[in-house]
Amino acid sequence: MSSPLKINFDKGTLILQDVPDELQTQLPDLRWDARTLAFRAPAYCYRDIVSHLRAHDISYQDTARQFTTGTFPLQKEILPYCYQTEAIDAWNANGRRGVVCLPTGAGKTFIAILLIADTQRPTLVHVPTIDLMHQWYDVLKEHFGREVGLYGGGYHELRDLTVTTYQSAVLHAPHYGNQFGFAIFDECHHLPGEQYQYAAISSIAPFRLGLTATPERVDGKESRLYELVGECCYEAKVQDLSGKMLSKYRVVTIAVEMEDTERVRYEEARHTYLGFLKTAKINMGTPRGWHLFLWKTSQTDEGREAFQAYLTQKQLSFASTTKQEWVWKLIQRHRGDRILIFTQDNDTAYRIGEQFFLPVLTHQTKVKERNAFLNGFRDGTYSILVTSKVLNEGVDVPEANVAIIVSGSGSVREHVQRLGRILRKRKGKQAVLYELVSKQTGEHFVNKRRRQHDAYRESKY
Amino acid sequence: MLTRDLLRYKIRSRQIYPQFIEPTDRQLLTCAEQLIAVFEKSPNTPRATLLEASKQIIDGTPGAPIVKRGLEKLLLDRTEFDTAPNEALIAFRRRLFMETSRLLSEEQFQDYTDYQHRVSQITAGESQPEIASLVERESASKLYADLPSCQPILSFRTLSAERLLHRYNAAQVQGLLLHCNAVTLRLADAMTAELRQLFKYLRFNQLLSTIRKEEELYQITVDGPLNLFYKTKRYGMNLANFFIAVLHQTKWELTAEIQFRNRQRSRLSLDESCGIKPISQQFLAYIPEDIQLFQTMLHNKTDDWQIRPGSQFLPLAGDFYCFPDYQLLHESGVETAIELFHPWHQGHLIARINTLAEQQDASLILGVSRELEKKPLIADALASSAYFSKFGFTFRDVPTMRALLPILNSLV
Repeated sequence: MSSPLKINFDKGTLILQDVPDELQTQLPDLRWDARTLAFRAPAYCYRDIVSHLRAHDISYQDTARQFTTGTFPLQKEILPYCYQTEAIDAWNANGRRGVVCLPTGAGKTFIAILLIADTQRPTLVHVPTIDLMHQWYDVLKEHFGREVGLYGGGYHELRDLTVTTYQSAVLHAPHYGNQFGFAIFDECHHLPGEQYQYAAISSIAPFRLGLTATPERVDGKESRLYELVGECCYEAKVQDLSGKMLSKYRVVTIAVEMEDTERVRYEEARHTYLGFLKTAKINMGTPRGWHLFLWKTSQTDEGREAFQAYLTQKQLSFASTTKQEWVWKLIQRHRGDRILIFTQDNDTAYRIGEQFFLPVLTHQTKVKERNAFLNGFRDGTYSILVTSKVLNEGVDVPEANVAIIVSGSGSVREHVQRLGRILRKRKGKQAVLYELVSKQTGEHFVNKRRRQHDAYRESKY
Repeated sequence: MLTRDLLRYKIRSRQIYPQFIEPTDRQLLTCAEQLIAVFEKSPNTPRATLLEASKQIIDGTPGAPIVKRGLEKLLLDRTEFDTAPNEALIAFRRRLFMETSRLLSEEQFQDYTDYQHRVSQITAGESQPEIASLVERESASKLYADLPSCQPILSFRTLSAERLLHRYNAAQVQGLLLHCNAVTLRLADAMTAELRQLFKYLRFNQLLSTIRKEEELYQITVDGPLNLFYKTKRYGMNLANFFIAVLHQTKWELTAEIQFRNRQRSRLSLDESCGIKPISQQFLAYIPEDIQLFQTMLHNKTDDWQIRPGSQFLPLAGDFYCFPDYQLLHESGVETAIELFHPWHQGHLIARINTLAEQQDASLILGVSRELEKKPLIADALASSAYFSKFGFTFRDVPTMRALLPILNSLV
């Protein structure tokens, strides 16, 4: 009698031994590996391979799977909104795979919690930032009343419920990718990245959930997301939930004049910068433009002067004196409100923080102080928080009702996510997002680009 | 390692040529000496001060700025900064922001100056005057004086100027290898103990290899498990680290396909004539502790066998080769070798058992860690391997003579 087919996990892949001849071409993504003289498949094909074997009643010995079913009872009752129930049903109907797209503040985390309890599998939650990792840790611990593992940011503890960063998962999934039956990818639009995708490829988890407000990617790789996690199985837009599940909001764009002296400096710097682009034949609109610019400016003195000019014009349009005066006016106008001030870069964030004596949260903020700032903002100890990009995604600050965008990129996603920070529903809450845009500068076009989203339909100038 | 913007290369006809520097170039050596001197004096000064001093050298010496910035980057990689939090400043910020938050929520100000004045009044009672002064206009920029640019330097691992220039050339290659999916090496037949280091690096970096013999050369293709499915750069860092071991070989050729994002693929071809000196320690004269222990244990039990570290490829059935850990020679002239498999060598062991299934002689003895044996697939593979049952043994921490000697005795 021939030996049964064996499936084993090896460094983010599956090794299959004793594969009958007729199966060698039928199993998905199975290839002969001449380096190890065995059949190999990417770990994420585990579900399809096992399903095929079961469907054809083929016996096999599975040593790849190192998890079992367990119970994950909820310690606190969650009453889902109807759209959350719809999302859960859609995900289950999709074979317990797929991406759920909901606006920020619509309770994606609660959907994940309900699904962990329902699927009864050890679960690994992937997040893009350390802040989100700690936030998920707190939420899981609170709802399941059990210890939660952390992997990344200096932590290396695996438990049945574990939270990890994408970066850490890419490095370590080859070792633990067979220990979880349910993989959750928060802010899953990150997943198709050149490296991050290996967090999903190297995992055998048969059940997969992606959560995001904006699955679209500039590089169009969202199709890769759907291959690795499953199709988009549920979507609701911000307008569908505004005023019902999300706070009512308005967007106010303020066109800011530069002071005369700054205008002169801006024009001079911009002239130098654009002149260099023309001479060096660099098109910043192409994917290689920025790298080419960096490289060419590092070669000559003229290049370095152009790079300095680039920084100067950018800094002036991002953080002119008039913009800072507007920040002061808006702070005064919204006394008693909970205000988030967003900037494009850390320098501007710290400059505002130092000028107005405000807490600044960037990736450079140490963990202890970061937690103190976030908790202080949530409980009202601090009414204003300045940040560059770390609060763009996921971090929950439901009390915030005013956002001031001092500067930002042209990314639609970034802008929608910043808006999302102030949309979490509170009784009687009316959210306002201010955009400060320097008149007659490159920022005007950047602003135009990022406003190509439904959420800005009703904005005012 | 060098970041992408610091790499210097040219691409012609899909061939990529790293732009190496001449390690004996007097101008560059002078610049390197000056940079090293600045870094050597840097402990206890803030990062920004170090970078300012370094910038003056970069701006003030002749030569391509990109090269000098590359040298600076390599020196920064050897510098340790004090990243411990400044607790006094953090505590002050907490108190200050509580007050400013209250002021901004509850009080009305005529203008910004009025607000600043009120903040000054509140903090005037601070016990530490240098902290209280942080709210004054000219000092406000020190409110976040614990940012990375202000972090003091703890230590710097110095090196000679010439070594820095060689390291720069190696880093140029490593920076390119970060963007490749596999490396092919061709090594001359005259094998020495340097290979031992090469294969240790290979295993340590979790890479896989295929070894083929082509006339007098061994061709080794190095990549990772997922390369079977994707042209992935997932193992770029592993391959870049592996390159350090290549530099210890006396005669070598390396080829790799380099692909930057949104760019066409280009071929990197290098050999020992590039002149890059090894940048890591070489332990050829050093006999590792495990070998010493093994030698002593064997010597205590028998004088018939001599043991030495593995130093040459061993041909196996089916045109495969392995590089064993130890080689053993019996006084009668019988030779054999031992390859050890630790818990992280699962894939390698499976491959070896499959290869040896067709092996007729006992040229290789397999030692398998008991931790590895606990894995069901491995236990199953070992149990069903006729070769292992004759020429294999298991061990806990180090191989024991009790397990090995019966196999050795069966060979003579």
